[in-house]
Amino acid sequence: MKYSNAWHLRDIILLTLIAIFFGVIYWVVGPLYNVLTVALTPIGLGPGANDVVMGIWVMAGPLAGYVFKKVGSATLGEFLGSVVEMFLGGQWGASTMISGVVQGVASELGFAFTGYKRYDWFSLNLSVLTTTIVTFGWDMIRNGYAQYHLGLLIALFIIRLVSTWLFAGVLVKAIVNLLDRTHLMQTQTR
Amino acid sequence: MNPSLKFLLAVLIALEISFTSTWLVNLGLAVIGLLIILSSRPTLKRLAMLFFVPLIPALALAVAILLQSNAGTHFALVLFTRIYAYVFVGSAATLTTTVTDLVMSLEQNARIPSKFAYGFLGAFNLLPKIVSEVNVIRAAGNMRGQVLHIWSPQLYFKAILASLDWSENLAEAMTSHGFTEGAPRTYFKRIRIHWWDWLIFAGSLALLQIALFGLHLR
Repeated sequence: MKYSNAWHLRDIILLTLIAIFFGVIYWVVGPLYNVLTVALTPIGLGPGANDVVMGIWVMAGPLAGYVFKKVGSATLGEFLGSVVEMFLGGQWGASTMISGVVQGVASELGFAFTGYKRYDWFSLNLSVLTTTIVTFGWDMIRNGYAQYHLGLLIALFIIRLVSTWLFAGVLVKAIVNLLDRTHLMQTQTR
Repeated sequence: MNPSLKFLLAVLIALEISFTSTWLVNLGLAVIGLLIILSSRPTLKRLAMLFFVPLIPALALAVAILLQSNAGTHFALVLFTRIYAYVFVGSAATLTTTVTDLVMSLEQNARIPSKFAYGFLGAFNLLPKIVSEVNVIRAAGNMRGQVLHIWSPQLYFKAILASLDWSENLAEAMTSHGFTEGAPRTYFKRIRIHWWDWLIFAGSLALLQIALFGLHLR
């Protein structure tokens, strides 16, 4: 199927609405992240909570990429999600947008590597991998992960990979499968 | 200050302190951010949240550095203050700007296509409806004895179906009210970038560089 790359008003509204839904869901997850962080902090593993919930933060990107099948849709979806979270009064203020862009570009890379031609289990898994690597690289700089002992670093990476795979891979695929069965999306990206 | 420039400044500051490790600068930025937040007269509850919520990740990162690495107390202090600088600088931008002003400024000053500006704004104003829709979806699930968790595909599926429906309606409504993609527009409310906006923008960034270099060389 040939997909148009132009964004129309309806696509933009749909993407924003999806981003808002995810923004609302991220916002609901906020307390979970906080509780987990508090529980893990005394043993020095507090940042691990970030890796455990990472998959939930980065779901909007691959889903948008998969649903819209346009260049930039994953980035835009994730970015808008972060903007919405920011205005909902998420924890980070304007800095949320940086994470949004990093995560968006990270999941976009997976689709870019296939030349935006494949939208299947393979490209989704590729997106999971690029998301994990890029966001982890960013945390090595921003959150000082680079200073940790190697064992912990590897453990955190694996936790993040599993979390991202479960949410941005398996769960997104399950959602997309449900959507495909409705045949509602086909007319939409023409 | 002009909303576009204000957000750009906040993001640039956050980016810059991600790559530097001078805790005094982080602290200074946090204090400045706090002063701007205070000038917007936040509620006491909001202020308490602003102090309390970043404490969790900030402590987590600092303790992790102390226990799990050899980077030492200085780096732990850098990470701790960095989180506060992020949150206070970021909130200084968000708490003093409305969504509408930001979007209008992005359209008029940053030349974002009007379909993105108004599409986003239209969708964003459905926010209360979306929050209640999430509750409706979960309640409907509960009535059928089907508990929808954060990992349930049905929760997202139904949310996307609702979005599909609403996006169609909203786009049609906007079109029937005369919105045309790519057509030239006039503005009811003009947002300009004044010379002092550029001055604050450039001045703040210059001051940040001076502070970073000065403290680095010391």
